[in-house]
Amino acid sequence: MNGNYKLSTNLLRIFIYIVLFVILVITIVPVWLLIVNATRSTVEIQQGIGFFPSTHLIENYGILLGKGLNLSRGFFNSLFVALTSTIVTVYFSLLTAYGLVVYDFKGKQAFYNFIVVLVMIPMQLSIIGFYQYMSRLGLTDNYASLILPLIANAGAVFFGKQYLEAVVIQDLIDAARIDGASELGIFHKIMMPLAVPGAVTMGIFAFVASWNNFFNAFIMISSIEKYTLPMLVQTLRGDVYRTEYGAIYLGLAITVVPIIIIYALFSRYIVSGIAMGSVKE
Amino acid sequence: MNSKNFRKNYHGYLFIAPFVIGFLIFGLYPVYNTVALSFTDSTLMGKESNFIGLKNFARLFADDTFMTAIKNTWLIWILNFIPQTGIAMLLSIWFTNARLRIKSVGVWRALFFLPNLLTPAAVAALFFSLFSFYGPVNQFMVRAGFLPEAMQFLQDATITRSLVIFIQWWMWFGQTIIILMAGMTAIPIPLYEAAMVDGASSSQMFNRITLPLLKPILVYIFVTSLVGGMQMFDIPFLLTDGRGSPGSSILTNNILMYLKFSSSKGHIGAASSVGVLVFIMTSVCALAIFYFLRDKDKDK
Repeated sequence: MNGNYKLSTNLLRIFIYIVLFVILVITIVPVWLLIVNATRSTVEIQQGIGFFPSTHLIENYGILLGKGLNLSRGFFNSLFVALTSTIVTVYFSLLTAYGLVVYDFKGKQAFYNFIVVLVMIPMQLSIIGFYQYMSRLGLTDNYASLILPLIANAGAVFFGKQYLEAVVIQDLIDAARIDGASELGIFHKIMMPLAVPGAVTMGIFAFVASWNNFFNAFIMISSIEKYTLPMLVQTLRGDVYRTEYGAIYLGLAITVVPIIIIYALFSRYIVSGIAMGSVKE
Repeated sequence: MNSKNFRKNYHGYLFIAPFVIGFLIFGLYPVYNTVALSFTDSTLMGKESNFIGLKNFARLFADDTFMTAIKNTWLIWILNFIPQTGIAMLLSIWFTNARLRIKSVGVWRALFFLPNLLTPAAVAALFFSLFSFYGPVNQFMVRAGFLPEAMQFLQDATITRSLVIFIQWWMWFGQTIIILMAGMTAIPIPLYEAAMVDGASSSQMFNRITLPLLKPILVYIFVTSLVGGMQMFDIPFLLTDGRGSPGSSILTNNILMYLKFSSSKGHIGAASSVGVLVFIMTSVCALAIFYFLRDKDKDK
């Protein structure tokens, strides 16, 4: 009886590992092919599937440059937008979350409920009104139209509140008040250092979201010098690159590899951040 | 003392003020503006803008393309959501099962989650390349003998739509695993121990303990996935020609909105009406699900 039980558990275990392995292959192979093909020449890619890197990375980059696709400029545009977006998101969301956690004021609960509702509202669908409004303000084709809306980032505030509730120490705040610190000063000098791990998690999500953002940038930004990487990826579909497979894969790889590196470094923060954003109350 | 506290608490308003102002300027006003535009015949090219009442909406409902877009978006979302949650649930049960003791759960989970972080635009372009006529999938299928000759995957409506569904699944099941596992590990173990003493089977324990206690998490997954799914754009837009080809099989709400926006005259009035309708449809569904399923829980 006991032996049978063990045997069936072991068989189930083997079955599970096979399933996990199959799913792993499905998950990883497309990404691996993307990275490897960025280093292979078009001829090699046409000859067959290869799982090992080749030596044509520089050559592929040259092809893209030769066709007028400035990947490094796109990279730095993306980096600039993503970093600024991250700073704006983290600072203002922590500020709002701090206000919600530390102070008791009338309408606080209503405001918090409103933020929860905002998380569930498809704000992207107001992009047309947003575009027309920004063009009246002369902010189209300007990164400000991508960055400033993040001052009011409901998802990040929600996360920040969850986090601050766990780390805020009221005594510390009171002590600082007795020492004559201003409220904003307390937030900057005492709260910010305490909140670093949460800020990092929030920042990673803000960075990735901005780095990956295609739709808003695609609508708002029009001049090619300001294109971010996802927008350059979109131009790779064009006829000019039809036969340059290696170069296309390289364009995609440059977009995706920084994210993979960030993930490799911070996967712990990211996984716990996802879990934390979802477990409410 | 009391007045001092009051004065301190007053600072709460100052701390949330930037958010409120930012929201009014960049969140609320654009929504209002979109609604206002949807009642006009505004274009990007012309200065003229006339109030035309509900004409844009009437036109949309008479337009088969709009109905196709709505149908496609729901179909793609549902066909992705069911396997996404189902498979994630199965894997989460395995990962958290004490008897199975699966090794390196963290590593499996981290790897399964990876696609979620990749730039959707790049993912779409990647799968476009993988499934192109000379791409690796054709090479593999022909060489392994599954196909007699290379085929144009992305010119077949069913295959293309299935591929979009697959990509959505591929990008999101790992995220669902993380959320489900967070929910499962938060369930107190004594509950299971008590059930075990009473002789409950594992399926009974799942149905009577795990599932009911996971409800808030499932509602969260459902609502966020719905809101995201209704706004699906990058993958179907970049997988084929940006018009939902072949045969409008992957034309989604947002692609239709973009097509009206980017038409030669830039019909922002008509584009806004698409946004408004989808906005209402999505918000109503999401909030209804949220409150309907949540309030019952609060009674406890």
